[in-house]
Amino acid sequence: MSRSKTEAKRPTQRSEMSKWQWTWKEMKRNKTAYFMLAPFLILFIVFTVLPVVLSMILSLTNFDMLNIPDFVGAKNFTRLFLDDEIFILACQNTLIFACITGPVSYILSLLIAWFINELPPKIRAVVTLIFYAPSISGQVYLIWKTLFSSDSYGWVNATLMKWGLQSEAILWFENADYVMPLCIVVALWTSLGTAFLSFIAGLQTIDRSMYEAAAVDGIKNRWQELWYITLPTMRPQLMFGAVLSITQAFGFGAVVDALCGFPSVDYAAHTIMHHLSDYGGQRYEIGYASAIAVILFIIMFGCNIVIKKALSKVGE
Amino acid sequence: MKRTVSQRVLCLLLTVATLFGALGITVGASNGEYKGENSTAATLEEMQNLVGVTSYEQYLAEYATLAKTPNRKTPIKIFFSTDPDYVYKDGEYNILDFAREWDQNGKQKYTDFIDEKNEQNAVLVKDSPICGPDKDSLGYETWNDFTAEDAATSVYLPSMGTAAWKINITDDDIGMYYIKFTYYSAKTSESSTSSIEKKFLIDDKIPFDEAGRITLDKSWEYDYNSKVTKVEISAAEYSQGKASISYNNPVDEDGGYVKTVVHYERNEYTGKFYRVTTVSSIRSDKNNNSMAPEAVAVPTWSTYTIKDSSGYYTEDFMFFMGKGDHFISLVAERDPVVLKSIELIPVEVFSDSTSSTLKAYSEYRAQHSGKPQGSGEVQLEAEFPDYVSDASVAASNDNTSAGTFPTNHSSQLYNVIGENGYSTVGQWAAYNFYVPTSGMYKISMRFIQNALQGMFVCRTIKIAGKGYTNAGEAAIIPFKEAADLKFNYSKEWQSEFLGDGNGTDFEFYFEAGQKYTLYLECSLGSLKQSIQAVEHSLSIINDCYLQVLQLTGADADENRDYRFDEILPGVLRSFLEQAKALATEKQKLEELCGSNGSHIATLDTIALLLVQMGSDNGDNVAKNMGSLKSYLGTLGTWINNSKQSKIMVDALFIVPSGTEEVPREADAGFWSSLWFEIKSFFASFWVNYDEMGLTGEISEDVQKIDVWLATGRDQSQIWRSMIDANDGYTNSTGTAAALKLVTGGTLLPSILSGKGPDVYIGLGAADVINYAIRGAVRGISGNDPDLSAEDNSQFTTKYYTYRDESSNYTTTTEERTDKGELTFVTKPYSELVLTEKTKSVIEGKEEQVFAEAAVDTVRLLNVAYGIPQTMSFSMMFYRMDVLANLNVGVPETWSDLLSCLPIIQANNMSIGVDYIAALDFMIYQKGGSLWKYTDASKYDPMYAGAKIDLDSDIALEAFEYVCRLYSDYSFPVAYDAANRFRTGEMPILIGGYCALYNQLVVYATEIEGLWEFCSLPGDFRDADGDGIEELHYESLAGVGATVILRGCKGDELRAAWQFVQWNSSADVQATYGNKMVALIGPSAKYEAANLQALEDLSWTASEKLAIRDQMNNMCSIVNYPGSYIYNRYMKFAFLDVVNEGANAKESLLGYIDAINSEITRKREEFKDRGIWYVGKDGQETPIEKS
Repeated sequence: MSRSKTEAKRPTQRSEMSKWQWTWKEMKRNKTAYFMLAPFLILFIVFTVLPVVLSMILSLTNFDMLNIPDFVGAKNFTRLFLDDEIFILACQNTLIFACITGPVSYILSLLIAWFINELPPKIRAVVTLIFYAPSISGQVYLIWKTLFSSDSYGWVNATLMKWGLQSEAILWFENADYVMPLCIVVALWTSLGTAFLSFIAGLQTIDRSMYEAAAVDGIKNRWQELWYITLPTMRPQLMFGAVLSITQAFGFGAVVDALCGFPSVDYAAHTIMHHLSDYGGQRYEIGYASAIAVILFIIMFGCNIVIKKALSKVGE
Repeated sequence: MKRTVSQRVLCLLLTVATLFGALGITVGASNGEYKGENSTAATLEEMQNLVGVTSYEQYLAEYATLAKTPNRKTPIKIFFSTDPDYVYKDGEYNILDFAREWDQNGKQKYTDFIDEKNEQNAVLVKDSPICGPDKDSLGYETWNDFTAEDAATSVYLPSMGTAAWKINITDDDIGMYYIKFTYYSAKTSESSTSSIEKKFLIDDKIPFDEAGRITLDKSWEYDYNSKVTKVEISAAEYSQGKASISYNNPVDEDGGYVKTVVHYERNEYTGKFYRVTTVSSIRSDKNNNSMAPEAVAVPTWSTYTIKDSSGYYTEDFMFFMGKGDHFISLVAERDPVVLKSIELIPVEVFSDSTSSTLKAYSEYRAQHSGKPQGSGEVQLEAEFPDYVSDASVAASNDNTSAGTFPTNHSSQLYNVIGENGYSTVGQWAAYNFYVPTSGMYKISMRFIQNALQGMFVCRTIKIAGKGYTNAGEAAIIPFKEAADLKFNYSKEWQSEFLGDGNGTDFEFYFEAGQKYTLYLECSLGSLKQSIQAVEHSLSIINDCYLQVLQLTGADADENRDYRFDEILPGVLRSFLEQAKALATEKQKLEELCGSNGSHIATLDTIALLLVQMGSDNGDNVAKNMGSLKSYLGTLGTWINNSKQSKIMVDALFIVPSGTEEVPREADAGFWSSLWFEIKSFFASFWVNYDEMGLTGEISEDVQKIDVWLATGRDQSQIWRSMIDANDGYTNSTGTAAALKLVTGGTLLPSILSGKGPDVYIGLGAADVINYAIRGAVRGISGNDPDLSAEDNSQFTTKYYTYRDESSNYTTTTEERTDKGELTFVTKPYSELVLTEKTKSVIEGKEEQVFAEAAVDTVRLLNVAYGIPQTMSFSMMFYRMDVLANLNVGVPETWSDLLSCLPIIQANNMSIGVDYIAALDFMIYQKGGSLWKYTDASKYDPMYAGAKIDLDSDIALEAFEYVCRLYSDYSFPVAYDAANRFRTGEMPILIGGYCALYNQLVVYATEIEGLWEFCSLPGDFRDADGDGIEELHYESLAGVGATVILRGCKGDELRAAWQFVQWNSSADVQATYGNKMVALIGPSAKYEAANLQALEDLSWTASEKLAIRDQMNNMCSIVNYPGSYIYNRYMKFAFLDVVNEGANAKESLLGYIDAINSEITRKREEFKDRGIWYVGKDGQETPIEKS
C-alpha cells in the first residue's frame, strides 16, 4: 500500500508535470536512444554549435588572437556595412557566385541524376562514378590550374597560340576578366557531389507502382510525371541537396585560393569567405572576421528558409 | 658531369646561330664592357673557355699519334721547400719554385708566372703559403703526423687563389703521364666540412672536361667517446689471445650501444705484450633513441692520382706532356690544403689503357691455395664504421625488419648505414677488424637494396692490411671482381656471401693478430658504360632540342612545314641514331640485370619517341616537341637515379671459408616478425616521434626551456644533437632545452592559451612584427616596454670599447694592442650584433654579423624582436654554355640585360625575372624607399611607417620600369623556372639563390658545372653625391627569425636568451648548415642570415664571393602595422598593366589612397602601444599614450 501511496504522489500525467519534468522523464524513458545519439551530439555541440555561438559572441568584440578580447558592441557590424567597400564587393561577388553556381549546379545535379537513372544499372554505376569523381578526388580541381596555366606552355595558352588566336600567354587566373567565369566553371565541375548522389538514391526509392497509378489517373507526359510524382516523392533528398548546394555556393573559398592566389586580382573573385580569412588570418582581427562569419551564417540561414518554402511548393 | 660532344655541339650551335644571323648582331652588345672591378660573374671569355673543353675520349684521340711511353722511368717530381735561394733540381729538371722573393712587406712576390688575365682572381699563393714568413699563424705544430720537416717542405694553399708550377719537358720525357698529389688535409680556420676542391689547369687550360675539377678527399671519423685500455700481458697469454669484436644489445640497457674491440699487440722495440681493449659507444637519449655521433675530419696525409670522379673510367687519367715549358696550376675552389708534392708518373702502357691491371680472382685464390680455413666469426655492425669518406655516410635507424640488429619496437636505435647518403660514387665506409687465426675467410653481408627496381647497385671492396698494403698505404682492391660486386633488387632484406653471383663465394686471406681495414665503396660497376652512353645521348638530344627550338619557338606549329629535313637534317639523323643507341643500352642493361624493370623500360619509351620524330622527313618533330621536352627531364632523372647506388647495410660478417650458412638470416622468421610488427603497431600510439625532448632525465633544479620549430624531422634532429654536443648549448650553459617539432599554425593558439614555447626558431619576419605589436614576442634589445627593468637588463651584456687615434671599436674580447685605450661599457647585445659593425681589436677587421636589411625586418621602431636566422634573396642564375654560344656576356646592369635581349629572343629564348621580387627591389635599386620617412624619422613613432612612399617619383619610376619589362619587352610572367633553365630556353634567370640552387643541384644534374649565379643586375646612379655613379644592385631580404615568446620570465628568460644567442652565433649556424648538407646532401644548402657563418658553409669559394657580394647589397621591407596591404595592391596594379595595358604610374597611383587608409586604420588599432597615427583629416595627430 505504502508503495502505491508514494507512486500516487509522483506526477504521472503530462498535465501534472512541468515542461522540464516531462522532458526529463521522456529522456529517461528513451535513454537508449540518447545514449546512441550521444557520440554525435557531443561532437556536434562541441565542434559546430559552440563555435557558432562563440563567433557570435566574438563578433561583438575586438580580438586579435593573442590578447583577451574587449567588448565593442555592434561596432564591427556598423563598420562592415558602412565603412568597408571590399565587403560590399565581396557580398556582390558571393551573390553572383551563389546565384549562378547554386541553382545551376542544383538543377544540373537533378537533371543528370534523372537522366542517369534511366540507364541500365551497370552503365549507370560507371556514369555515376564519372560524374561524382571530381568532387571526391580532393584537390583534383588543380587540373584547371594546369589547363589554364599562365605559362606559355600551359595547355590552353599553348593551344591558343598554336591556332594563332593569341600571340602572348594569357594570365588566366591573374586576369580580372577571366577569374570569375573560370571559378564558376570550376565550381560547377566540382559541384556534382553528394547532392547528386542523394538525388540518384531518391530516384531509386520511388515506387514504380505510383507511376502506373498516376498513368491511370491521367498523367499525360514525362514532365507531369516528374512534377507530380518524382519530385514530391523525393522531397527529403531535394531538401538535403539544396542545403548542400547553398553551403557549397557560399562557402566556395579554398578552390579560388588555390587557383587564383589570395587575394584574387583586383578582388575579382573575392567572396565573403575570402574577406573572412583576410581579416582572420592576415590582419589578426578575429572580432571583425567573426562579424563577417555571422553575416554569412545569417545569409545562408535565410536562403535555407526560402528554399524550404520553395520546395514545399513542388508538386502543387 | 660529362659532355662528351660539347665541341661538336658547339660547332652545330654556332652554325645554327650563324644561320639566323644572330652572330652578326651579338658582338659589342654586352661584351662585358661594364664589368666592374669586383664583379663575381664569369666573363664571356671564361664561359667560352669552359664550353670549348673536350672530353677525355677526344683528348686521348687528339694525342693518339703523339702519345708514347716517356723514355724516363722515374716520376717527375715537383717539391716545395722553404729556402728562398734553393732551387730544387730533380735530375735535369729545373723545378721553378715561385715562393722565392719577398717584397718589402714580407709578402712573397710571384715573378715567373703571372696570369694577367686573371689577376683579380688572385694569381697564386701570394696570400700565405706555409713556407712563407707567417707560417706560424697556421699553428701547424699542433697538427697530427705533421712534422717541422713537413712544414718546411710543403706549401699551404688557401681556399682562394691560384698556385702554379713550371716544369720543363725535354725530348726524352715527351709522353703520357699520370698526375699524383701528396697532400695533408689540414684543418684551419678556412676549412669547411666539405672535401677539398681544386680546378686543375695545364698551361692555363683545362686539359679535358673530366679533369677540370679535382676533389681531394678528407677522411672522417665518428666520435664514439672511445676509451682505450692497454694491459701488459705475458707472452703465453699473447699467443693464446684471440682478437674479438663484440656488441651489447642496447634495447633495454642504459648507456647506449657499445662496441668492444679486444686485440693483442706486441711492441716491436720493447718486446712487451699488451691486450688492448677499445670501448666505443653510440649514446642514447632517455627514450632509448640513438643520438647521432659527431663526425670529425681527421687531418691525414693522403695521395690522389687524378681520376674520373663520376666513376665512368676506373683507370687514372693520362696527360700528354709535349716538349718545352709547361705550367701546372691549381685554382682553389673550396677548402685549403697542404701540398707536399706533385708527381708526374710516366705511363708504361698507354695503348691499351682500359684493360685492368688487377689480377683475377682465380689468380688471387691460387696464390693462397695451400692456406688453411680460418676460424671464429667477426661481426662488423655496419652502423659502427671506423672511418667514412664524408659525414653523409651516416648510421641511421630502420625498423622495417625484426631481423636487423639492434632493433626495438618503440625506440629508434641506430642499426643500419646508408639510409641517406652513401650512394654517390666514391663514398665509402671502412671497418677495422682482426681475425682470430690466419687463414681463408668469406664475407657475408645483410642488406636491403630496394631503390633501383629491376637493377643492381655496385660496391667495391678495398682492403688495407698485411698481405694487401704496407703500413701507411692506401687500401687496394684485392682482385678484379672485388671492384664490381653486384647487389640485386629486392623489396626484402637479403643476406649473402660476397661472390661473383654465379655460385662462387670469394675467399680472402687474413692473418691473425694483424689489423685489417675493409672498405665498402660505392661504384657504378658494369653499369658505368651504359649510364655514360645514356648521358652522352641525353646531351646530344638536348642540343637537338635546342636547335629545333631555335627554329620553331616555344610553341611549334604542328601544321606548318618547317622543312626539318632540309634545314636540320643532322638533327633528324641524330634522333634516329640516339634512338638506336638508347635501344642498344636498354638491351645491354636487360642482359646485365636479367630482368626488365620499369626503370629500364623508360629508355624504350624515349627511343620510340625519337624514332617517330626522326622518321617521315621530320613531319612529326613539331607536334612531339612537348613530349620531347618532358622526356628530356625523364632521361635526366633516369641518369640521376641510376647513378645513385643506394643500399642499406645492416652488418658484415667475416667467417671461415667453409661456412655454408650465412651468420644472420635475411628474415627473422614469420612469428618473430609478426610479434615485432604487433608491438610496433601498439607502440606507435604511445611514442611521440616528433618530440625531440630531452636527452636524459634532468634534475629539478636544472633550468629547462621549451624550443619549438616548424621545419623537418632531420633539421630538428640536427638541432637536438648540437644542443647535446660536448661543446653544445646544454654543456656550456647548464640549461636543458626540450625541442618540439610543430606544424606552422600551432604557435598562435598556443600563445593565447599560455602553453606556448619559450623560443621559436624560424618565424617569418612579418609575423615577428605582427606578434610583437600585440605583445606576444619579447623585445631583445633591452628596451621592451612590456618587460620589467630587471628582465630588460638581461639583454645587456658587458662589452669593451676600444679607442685609438683612428676610430672606436666595440669588441667582446679584452685583448688590446699597444696603442689606444680600452673602456668597459654596457650595451645591449642586439645593438652590437644587429646594428653596429663589430671589429675585433687584434685583427682590426670589420665584421658585420647581420645585414642591416635583415635586422630592419625584425625591428619595430627602436625595439628589436628577434635575431635573423635565415635570409633568402634573389640572385641571377645563368647558363654559361648557352650564353657563350650566343656570344652574350653576363649582364651587369638592367640596360645590359635589355641590350642582350634581342639576341636571346631571336633564338626563341627568354629571360626569367620573378616580378614579385623585382617590384620590391627595383624601388631600392633606384634609390627609393617603401615608407615615407627620412633617416631621422626612422624611429619616430609618429612618422615611421605611417605612409607609403609608392607615390614618390622614384618608386613610380621603378614600378613603371618593372612593368615595362613584361609589357614592352615580353618577359614571361609565369614560367617553370627550373625546367626552362635546364633546357636552356631561359639562360638568364632571377630567383631565390638557395632554393633555386638546391633545386637545380638535384633536378638538373646534366647541366652541372654549366651554370653559375651572381649578384643581380643593377642600376648606375650617384647616391652619395660625389659625382661618380656607382652600381646599385640590391636584392630583397626575406627573413626568418628566432624569437622569445611572451610568458618567458626571470631565469627562464635568461636561459632562453642564452639559447637564442647560442643558436644565432656564427659557429652554430655554420655547423648546422654543414650538418644539413652532410645529412641530406648538396641540395640541403642552408641560407644562414649570419654573415660570418657564410665563411664556413660549404659553398665553393667563388659561390661564397658572389653570395657575400649580394649580401652586402640588400634591401628589405620594414614591417609596420598594415604593411601587408601594399603588396597586394602593387600586384593588382602590376597585373592591370600587364593584362589590360593600363598606364603603369596611373595604375599604381590609383591604389595609394587605399593603401594609406588601411595603414592608418591599422595604426589606430595600436595607438595604445605608442604608435601614433595620421588622422583621417590628413592632420598628423599624435594620440596620447593611455
